[in-house]
Amino acid sequence: MDTGIRLIELLIDGISRGMVFALLGVGITVVFGLGGVLNLALGVFSVIAIILAMELFGLTGTLFAAIPLAVLAVSLLGLAVDRSLLSLVYRSEGDERILLGIFTTLGLATFLDGILFITYPSSYSLSSGIASVSLAGVQIRGSSIAVIAIAAAVFAALYYFFSRTYLGGAMRTVLQDETGAILCGISPRRMRTYVFLLSTAVAGLAGILYSFTFEVSVATAFELTIYAIIVSIVGGVTSVLGAAVAGLLLGIVVTFTSAFVGAYISEIVLFGVAIAVLIARPEQIK
Amino acid sequence: MSTETTRSGLTWDRLRIPVVVAVLAALPLLFFDPSYTYISRLFILTLVFATLALALNIVFGHTDQLFLFVGALTGIGAYATALTADALGVSPWVTLLFGATLAGVLGALVCYVAARRRFTVILIAILTLSLQLAIIEIFVGARDITGGSTGFRFSGLGLESVQNALGVHEHMVLYYVVLALLTGVLALYHYIRNSKYGMAFDAIRQDEIAAEAIGVDVVRYKTLAGFVSAFVIGLTGPMYAQLESLVLPGMFEFNVIDVLVLIILIVGGIRTMLGPIVGAAVIIYVNEELQATGQWRTVVFGFLLIVLFLYFRSGIVPYLDDVLNERLGLKARIRSLVAD
Repeated sequence: MDTGIRLIELLIDGISRGMVFALLGVGITVVFGLGGVLNLALGVFSVIAIILAMELFGLTGTLFAAIPLAVLAVSLLGLAVDRSLLSLVYRSEGDERILLGIFTTLGLATFLDGILFITYPSSYSLSSGIASVSLAGVQIRGSSIAVIAIAAAVFAALYYFFSRTYLGGAMRTVLQDETGAILCGISPRRMRTYVFLLSTAVAGLAGILYSFTFEVSVATAFELTIYAIIVSIVGGVTSVLGAAVAGLLLGIVVTFTSAFVGAYISEIVLFGVAIAVLIARPEQIK
Repeated sequence: MSTETTRSGLTWDRLRIPVVVAVLAALPLLFFDPSYTYISRLFILTLVFATLALALNIVFGHTDQLFLFVGALTGIGAYATALTADALGVSPWVTLLFGATLAGVLGALVCYVAARRRFTVILIAILTLSLQLAIIEIFVGARDITGGSTGFRFSGLGLESVQNALGVHEHMVLYYVVLALLTGVLALYHYIRNSKYGMAFDAIRQDEIAAEAIGVDVVRYKTLAGFVSAFVIGLTGPMYAQLESLVLPGMFEFNVIDVLVLIILIVGGIRTMLGPIVGAAVIIYVNEELQATGQWRTVVFGFLLIVLFLYFRSGIVPYLDDVLNERLGLKARIRSLVAD
């Protein structure tokens, strides 16, 4: 009975972590799928959102204002990056653009990391403010409830956006056939801007949710980027649904291995899965 | 006019390695001070990073296989050399080649799999980055063998007999050991560039399918490039550890090694022989100057990485080459005008 309860508790923790992974994975997937840029600075946007949310929480006193404002501010930063750096990257084509994308976003990550480290050198976390619930002997942490509820709502919104709205459809069109999209009067460059905004917003929110459960420092940024890339690879890199499913699965796997085998083995398992998928199915990633 | 420039280019081509090595060999006599090891450490560090960048130049510059696990390979070389020496009770000089071979085999394996599975550059970048992080995790996690995140002291690559016989500081000896390694790699690089391997690499880089069609064994050459580069990196690892007198995971992290090596390669000039040396000298110097600014170092490096990749991808050495050629061309043209 006790082990049964423990397993359920772990499963809930795993789902909560998995949903954060899924959001991060989507952040990588949409930008890589649509623009061919592997955004190595994604995790930094998450950490910036956490710090902003923390500061705004101190100012406004309510998370209901702090979180949306922080996400909005991070998207604006995303817009600035898209207009300046990424415009330069998109000038090149093919392999060169991919390499340029890797290096400029790596440079951006290092640059922003450095600035953050000077101003915010310690560890931070946010409290969701929701009390733990006990349900038939199963303890559910308040943070898990908050993460699962918010992430589920975001995924529902993403699903609606991509399947029902004109803009979402236009984005998917560019993903499938860029020339076709142009012929339909859709500007790929504009779609890339929107999609980068979307990815930074999603990454920012994912970071805030992550900080409900874990302590976050500037060094976490790179870790989050790596989780995002692994999830994106396992999910097939160009599929939003794939990233969501892969994130959920990996979150559960990591939670269970770190509970039963050890935290450091769980990290290696994560990398192992990514490497195995890369070697087994490289053709899905163009 | 054209014959003259080619002839001067040719002699320079032949003299390049001896001249550069001679200059590098003279540096310790001018700058090293046994009572002040700060400067000598920087010079050795420059040579270490120049060797790493030259190795990356082969596999990334010439075969387009982006290795983002130079740090991990350096670490594998250092850990394997130190740990097997310790376990067997022999000098690290004996196990040096074992560490390098281990790194080389891993490099070859990665390239083999990548070439067989037709990995694009982004895939091999992600694959090697995953390996980099996993390997560092192993260094930290396998505490019983590696000593965890605090690592262990390492000083087995000193040549005390030479040091005592000449009455010099250990840095003096280490500098020439690393310089010997760098000279070897320079010669190897020169050989590769002027042999069938260089031709095959060029063909593969320009058009892989066309290269395959004219009979270049793409998988074999890419694997070979991976082995050579990783072997050299693995050989450099223990030298780096000797300089720091330590082996610990933090020394081999992505941010510590890979970012720096990439910047060095780009600043100096990718696909050039002297680029890595020039780049290492510039970047290690800048890095040291920035230490004084404390945390701003990271900010400046991030900025450099962005600007260099967007605007200065050709590097210092090709830039100087162009300037020099223009000068020589101009002179020759004036001379021909005067002769008329």
